[in-house]
Amino acid sequence: MPADYEHIISIRGLVNRFGPQVVHDHLELDVRRDEILGVVGGSGTGKSVLLRSILGLHGPNEGTIEVMGQTIRHHQPGPHKKWGVLFQGGALLSGLTVQENVELPIALHSNLPVATRRELAVLKIFMVGLDLTAAAKYPNELSGGMRKRASLARALALEPKVLFLDEPTAGLDPISATEFDRLVSYLHQNLDLTIVMITHDVDTLFSVCDRVAVLVNKGIIVDTLDEIVKHPDPWIQDYFGDPRAVRARRAAIAKVKI
Amino acid sequence: MLDLAAVDTFLTLEKQNGLLQISLRDNWVFANVAKLQELLDQIVPEPGTSVRFSCGGLKELDLAGAWALYEKSMDFEEIEVQTDFEGFKAAHFKFLQHIIDIAAQKEYVPGFFDQKPNHWVHDGIRKLGSNTIDAVDSVGFIARAVLDGIKRPSRLVIGEVIRQIHATGTSAIPIVMVVCFLMGVVLAFQSARQLEQFGANIFMVDLVANSIFRELGVLLAAIMVAGRSGSAFAAALGTMKLTEEIDALRVLGLNPNQILIIPRVVGLMIALPLLTVFANIAGLLGGAFIGATVLDINWFSFTERLALSIQVNDVLVGLSKAPVFAFLISVTGTLRGMQVKGSAEELGRLTTVAVVQSIFLIIVADSIFTVIYSRIGF
Repeated sequence: MPADYEHIISIRGLVNRFGPQVVHDHLELDVRRDEILGVVGGSGTGKSVLLRSILGLHGPNEGTIEVMGQTIRHHQPGPHKKWGVLFQGGALLSGLTVQENVELPIALHSNLPVATRRELAVLKIFMVGLDLTAAAKYPNELSGGMRKRASLARALALEPKVLFLDEPTAGLDPISATEFDRLVSYLHQNLDLTIVMITHDVDTLFSVCDRVAVLVNKGIIVDTLDEIVKHPDPWIQDYFGDPRAVRARRAAIAKVKI
Repeated sequence: MLDLAAVDTFLTLEKQNGLLQISLRDNWVFANVAKLQELLDQIVPEPGTSVRFSCGGLKELDLAGAWALYEKSMDFEEIEVQTDFEGFKAAHFKFLQHIIDIAAQKEYVPGFFDQKPNHWVHDGIRKLGSNTIDAVDSVGFIARAVLDGIKRPSRLVIGEVIRQIHATGTSAIPIVMVVCFLMGVVLAFQSARQLEQFGANIFMVDLVANSIFRELGVLLAAIMVAGRSGSAFAAALGTMKLTEEIDALRVLGLNPNQILIIPRVVGLMIALPLLTVFANIAGLLGGAFIGATVLDINWFSFTERLALSIQVNDVLVGLSKAPVFAFLISVTGTLRGMQVKGSAEELGRLTTVAVVQSIFLIIVADSIFTVIYSRIGF
């Protein structure tokens, strides 16, 4: 096990091109241990491409990506047991119940007896705030928020060190979204987790994230929230100058004061 | 019972007057859980004693490891053995606290962890009943959709019908003709083998022409179309159902039964008879080809014999079946597609059902036709 890595994820000189269109131009990014990094950017700035590159689902044109000291190669096995991914739509297997979905990675990567497998899966399902009634259901019988939770339980099934969340609160109503944000913070506090999340939700950004990475000008700007709102880039100014962002920021500051 | 002095990688045991001290070491993580459980199960303290888990030596603990520990402590409590934990680092402790939090909300849901009893007779009867209800239900569904579709036809339907005729008919011509040509070849060979014994080779023409015109041309065309288009209908409509396109159409004020089902049904009912004509021609060509090249029946004598052996009604028998088969294929395909709900697996299952059922229905319908036509001497 390559334990001697400085950063959980380190990206060097990443270039992604689609025909003449350059999405990432020598992008560099380090994700620190135990932080929650929010990735934002306008549409078409390559948030998803970045995530897919890190996961080895997309082959970048140039550059190296290391996750926990392991170099990621396109369509090659990555550190499956040490990362968990929550895809945007949940991506639960529709032919299996929630319980079976969560059990699947455990069954694939261990030789535990069935009873233990089951117990561990149920543990994860409880952890994300679902109950046994939900565990016995098929994904299409669940609401959007429950599906996200179930998918999160599957992502956590193998005790990952790093968790990727793709738009975790997209498509949820504000109350469910806030609950989901709380769940993410709760899990982060209680597990040794590094979390990388792509999000559009400024509330999530201000209430959960330690640092923010903004994709602008084919590169990336990473800083704490307090610093990044002062950045002169016009897109950043637009984004954080938006009334909703201002409100979210005020709410976050107010919370800190209390 | 483990030897108390045994030193293992994961734990050491130490007994001091009534207190069993278990010192945990190394990595208590997911990868080792199987081994850890096995180890813990071997520890059986006497009732009335107490157990202390000492965690100072732990390198790493994760949720699965913490769970194994917690489960064991619960087991000990059950046999009245006091347990306590000491020497946790903050990071370790929060896992355990977390598990305890979660265990507090765990409640019993009947049937979730129990094996379900297996009553095969009971299940069989119930399945039979539900399948019957399903079958009746689909017949009703079909009738309602078709009637609903033809109520107030819209202009959109015509263009869509033409597109369907192209997709299901025109583009199927090559494959249907090849299959029928080969069937003609096979029939010619097989019948010639029998007729040779009587020196009546020329009657091969009667056999080939009759079976192609009355039965095989239309049957083969229908089966090819069921495999090609029946599955396409079910898969296309099923996907549209899954992606809520059908709901979108309804909200836009378009009747999906009319826009999606009727064009496919009408289109195929026009396309299949035409396809049958091509199938018949190809079958005859196959027979004639073998006649000319192998059996000494030249093209001229083939056509001469053909004119004697075939009446108009033989051709009509075949063609009259085509619209009925087309109706069966398109209705089964589209309605199975419309019945898809929920999962991708369901889509696959119903596509298979569509093809198998439409071929089955074609053959059933064909046998009914044959009985009726032979009774009325058509």
